[in-house]
Amino acid sequence: MDLAKKRRFKVKDCRVVYCLLALSIFSKGGAQPTQTVAEEFLKVESNQSISSGVPVRTSIDQTLEIASQKLLSGEESERVAAAKLLGKYSLRNSSLLLIGALDDPSPLVRRAALVSLVEHYNNGQIIYEAALVEKIYARLGDSDVEVRREVSALIPRLVPGLLQSGMEKLEINGRVVYGSRHGKLRPDLDKLTQDALLDSDSIVRQNLLRNHFSLRLQIHPATMVALLEDKDSRVLLVALDQVRIYGRIPGIFEQVKKLAIHPELGVRAKVLQVSRNLSRSYPLYRDVLRVLLNDGNRGLAAQSAVELARLGDSLSAKTVRMISAYLLSVQGLDEFSEKVFNGLSALGPNSTEVYRELTEHPSGRLRAVAWQNYLTQTKGWKDAKIWLPATKDRDSEVRQLALGAIRGRVEQLGEDDLNSLIESRYKDVRAFAAECLLVVELKIVENMFLELLIDEDGLVRTTTLRVLAKRRVSGWMKVHIRSLLDPNYAIQRAAMDGLLSESKVGVPALLDFVRAHPTESISSLARQELQRLGYRP
Amino acid sequence: MKKYICILLGLISGVSAVVGSDEWSGSSDLASIRVMQLRRDGGNRIRYPDALPSLLELMNEQARVGFDPDPLFIDTLTDGRLFDNPILYLNCDELPNFDFSPEENEALRRYLKLGGFLYLDAGIKASFLGADMGHSYAAWEERPEVREWFAQLFPESLFSPLPRNHEIFRTFYKGLPDNEYLRLEENQKRLPDTVLTFVEQEKWPQATYSFVGMKVNGRLACVASPICAMGWGRDEFGSWVPPISFRIRESAEDFDETLKLASFQGKTYEVTREDGLKDIIYTIPGKRPLWVREPTERWRIFKYYSGEEISDYAHSFYARLGMNVFLYALLN
Repeated sequence: MDLAKKRRFKVKDCRVVYCLLALSIFSKGGAQPTQTVAEEFLKVESNQSISSGVPVRTSIDQTLEIASQKLLSGEESERVAAAKLLGKYSLRNSSLLLIGALDDPSPLVRRAALVSLVEHYNNGQIIYEAALVEKIYARLGDSDVEVRREVSALIPRLVPGLLQSGMEKLEINGRVVYGSRHGKLRPDLDKLTQDALLDSDSIVRQNLLRNHFSLRLQIHPATMVALLEDKDSRVLLVALDQVRIYGRIPGIFEQVKKLAIHPELGVRAKVLQVSRNLSRSYPLYRDVLRVLLNDGNRGLAAQSAVELARLGDSLSAKTVRMISAYLLSVQGLDEFSEKVFNGLSALGPNSTEVYRELTEHPSGRLRAVAWQNYLTQTKGWKDAKIWLPATKDRDSEVRQLALGAIRGRVEQLGEDDLNSLIESRYKDVRAFAAECLLVVELKIVENMFLELLIDEDGLVRTTTLRVLAKRRVSGWMKVHIRSLLDPNYAIQRAAMDGLLSESKVGVPALLDFVRAHPTESISSLARQELQRLGYRP
Repeated sequence: MKKYICILLGLISGVSAVVGSDEWSGSSDLASIRVMQLRRDGGNRIRYPDALPSLLELMNEQARVGFDPDPLFIDTLTDGRLFDNPILYLNCDELPNFDFSPEENEALRRYLKLGGFLYLDAGIKASFLGADMGHSYAAWEERPEVREWFAQLFPESLFSPLPRNHEIFRTFYKGLPDNEYLRLEENQKRLPDTVLTFVEQEKWPQATYSFVGMKVNGRLACVASPICAMGWGRDEFGSWVPPISFRIRESAEDFDETLKLASFQGKTYEVTREDGLKDIIYTIPGKRPLWVREPTERWRIFKYYSGEEISDYAHSFYARLGMNVFLYALLN
């Protein structure tokens, strides 16, 4: 039979399938007979020309029937168009028509049918019948690469239909036995899948690799090793992702170790991740991390070092210096550097010097976290010389995290150090200076509180007022009484709280104030507080 | 040209041209260039957290420029740090609303007048996309909220479409990604045939996209685009995240007649085209748009393609486009 004849035969063969499908669909659906619908369609067209020019749309059944007829056309372009259109109607009937079209001799029709079926799946039209799903899945062996790609990407949606488990009734020695039947791939489809794992197209290989677990398929060790030698780095990445359950199979470790010197950084990074995870179960894989320790990319080498330290290896001084140099060289915290940074604590005492060096890093974010860790690790709040430089940082995030690490922990502070805080151009640092008045000698407070009391920032003034009351600095009461008239409510409140804490002079002064200034914004709260304490304002 | 740009960018950032190379060891005494990102609402509506950091890293790798890969997040335009950094990025889909105080508007006006650059990602959004934020569609006008906001800032100016030959589309990368860039073998299919044709000829011709921009003092100071950030994210292994699918228009011989009459029970939306005319998009609630009637009375059907190759291609395009925009902002 020559090629043309063969094609005609195939088209004819398909037409028979479509006819059967169409007949079954429309006889079940109870739609009007084919001829009538076609006539109606023509009528619609003629109506359009006769009447107002507004096209009258067909019903869904009519549209589907017209499409089903076009799927039988001898013209490839008509069949393609029909397959495309059917994708817009996520209905069982149109899914059946599309599945029928998967046998079309034209790859263009098969592609269009598959893309439309994917559209159905995306719109929630799921097919569960095993026979139909297996028909779709069988296109994994299609000669057209686009079809194979589409099918392999569709696997997660096909699995429920492909792997249906259930009960089965068996008769053993005349006795009826009920047992469970596991859902598994049909043997021929299993073979098709194993072959497709080594498909000539890398996208198909990737998709199969990614989805083989859901197909309950165990990859043959030789195939897995072959995939770990794949030329396409994206296939390698997926293969490495799946390697965790094949870690102990002979040949896999050697292959993973070989990939530790792969030219692509992403692959080596994946090898690092895989080896780190596998090292916990199979110590052998620590060797891979040791290979990566000498990687040309400092980020990767540093990350390997940190992982080895986490696994209990002690690192040489040279390696610690390498980690430090890497972190100092990065522009800021990215995924790599963040992992190295977060792993620094595994270096133990060695990490302190690294943190200290990083407090001078150009990246504000990195400096901030370095300060936080450095101060925590060295208990830096005990020595102002350690933490004072952080208060001079121009980045507010750095200052916030550093001050957060020492706030409430500073136990003493000299006059010069306090003075440098008071003279800071950053209000958060000056507010911290006000807090520090609590821990410096009373004489120093008396010498310096005025600077803070006239600060432009309300929080600094409020904090100072509260500290003055707490420490009973001479003359504090006068300051508080005067502050009751401050336009800033927070300052008024601080002044009120201070006066309430001193019953001999403070409370009477507050009573006088409330009587003299009944409409002041703090007065109503002050009245309530005084009443609570048993006074009659 | 690229080499020249690399050196220029290196000079701008004060970092030597070797920064970003795999093996470099020096550290810069100068601070890196920080890109700001406006995030309201405590960052509760973040759509693509990996996007901007990944793009900044990519620029460091490929354009040898010294961006700090850690964006500087600000939650108000009155943040004092606004004027310390030349580029502000804003994903409009992440904003809970477009309510900006007069002080914020004044700060932004000053920022743009003083040479700052604002990139409004998702500043273009076709009406039919609704609340679905994960779609990019080439409409050719800014979204109404952006138009209203900028009417308060610069009442005398309007956004206008950037021509296909605008420098912004070729600042660093020219053209669509080829097999070499995509790390594909020479003979491997980049995309399905129909998809590739549509992409090259209509979707992203010469690697351009639907951008509108506004000039301030004669300088392009603000651009808005359909959402591009979805294409910038990479994981630590260099793989693109999240997956992206393509919407393309496909025609067939008889679609002009068939689609006019095919069953349809949904809504239609008008979307402005590059030529200013309107496409009519046919949609069904809860599903992806069905087909389009073009002003020439041509009817085409929307088809959706997904898969590794589609996603990789889309990511490569969006990332290259994003790089071009940020590097344009830096150079201009």
